[in-house]
Amino acid sequence: MLHAALISNALAGLDDAFVSNEHIHYRTETIGPMWAPDLSADELVIAPNGTDHVALWGARDRIRAHLDRGGALACFCGWFTAWVPGNRWIHDNTHPTREVELRLVSDQRGLFNGVDLAKLNVNRHGIRGWWACGYIEPAPGAEVLLADTWDRAIVVLDETTTNGPQFLTASGPLGDYRRDGDPDGLSRLYLNLIAHLASRHLTQSLPL
Amino acid sequence: MKSIGLIFNGVWSQYALATAPKYRDIYELIYVHELVPARIAHLDALVIPFQSHQSALAAQRDTLYGFLAQGKKVAVFGDSTPLWLDAQWEDRPVNNYWWVKTPDQPPIAHTDYTHPVYAGLQPRHACWHLHGIYTRIPAEARVIQRNADGEVVTWETTRYGGVLFASTLDPIVEHGIQQIRHLDHYVDKLTAWLSGRTPTGPFILDPAAYGEGALLSV
Repeated sequence: MLHAALISNALAGLDDAFVSNEHIHYRTETIGPMWAPDLSADELVIAPNGTDHVALWGARDRIRAHLDRGGALACFCGWFTAWVPGNRWIHDNTHPTREVELRLVSDQRGLFNGVDLAKLNVNRHGIRGWWACGYIEPAPGAEVLLADTWDRAIVVLDETTTNGPQFLTASGPLGDYRRDGDPDGLSRLYLNLIAHLASRHLTQSLPL
Repeated sequence: MKSIGLIFNGVWSQYALATAPKYRDIYELIYVHELVPARIAHLDALVIPFQSHQSALAAQRDTLYGFLAQGKKVAVFGDSTPLWLDAQWEDRPVNNYWWVKTPDQPPIAHTDYTHPVYAGLQPRHACWHLHGIYTRIPAEARVIQRNADGEVVTWETTRYGGVLFASTLDPIVEHGIQQIRHLDHYVDKLTAWLSGRTPTGPFILDPAAYGEGALLSV
């Protein structure tokens, strides 16, 4: 059982893609005035799409401490403030979405196993483009999993910069969308990530 | 001088619009958790965009209606709650693919093009997709847009002193995202109505506003 903190800035429908089950337990960490989250009991911190990067900038030392003690970070949003250690997201509108073709670059942890990339490139309604915008300038040593038409990083797994891993998308939404009829696209990627982090946690928790 | 306050929930697309060179001299980001009367006293209008923090807005309900009572304008987009807005918003599935599957059936069927925000807009510029509808609005409110079922999408009222405009469209967030490339028409008309100033030029992004330089210029 993985224990995750879901950062919430009170957006309607935010919780729909993050429902606790036998693999993961979510607690909602709601942002308010003078927000100072206690992340000490969390193994994973999730910054979902549409989150508050002003509040996260204010909490950057707490996020860093969480990562330094081995906790994981998943950010599925465009972090325009510099609260993500070592990695930078940049908004960009020089290319229309119809020109974006995503391709797998590397996947040492198997996070894209069973993921139908075609469904990230063209969704079930025939619209091209994941809702990812801009690109990531990854930290040195970070693994670029997914790149776009122009070889820019769109999904990054950084197991180098901090003690705990960072899984980052270039603002592309991610969650468990199986109820919306998405078993082998974004949902599969998200479930693979959770399974990987849960297994990592179990391994680290076992006595030597 | 900036004259429109954009109530800011820390969301990147809201930030992208307010820091774009085209708009940054007109819009001032007002972080929702710092919203108090003194913070907005110098402004002529407020925009409350889609993806706002509804409970934080409810906590500052008096601040918002005090602003309206001064004869100023407030424009609300996307979802809302009766805890601060005297209306009932209801969610609906977002159809953002109609232009591929049913291009002759846009989500909005009726628009009052005499309203200053809509005057001169082409139908495709007046609607891209909706985030729900209103099932109740103030009794004397003027309806500006409806869907094919006659449900209210956009309305306004002057009952609180100034003009309260509400729509389930999401122009600020989508224009900031920049995946829909024709929203300059709507946002520029909205901006002109709220501020008296018409933005010009293309929507470009300032890389200096991102990363270490973020928030320094707002």
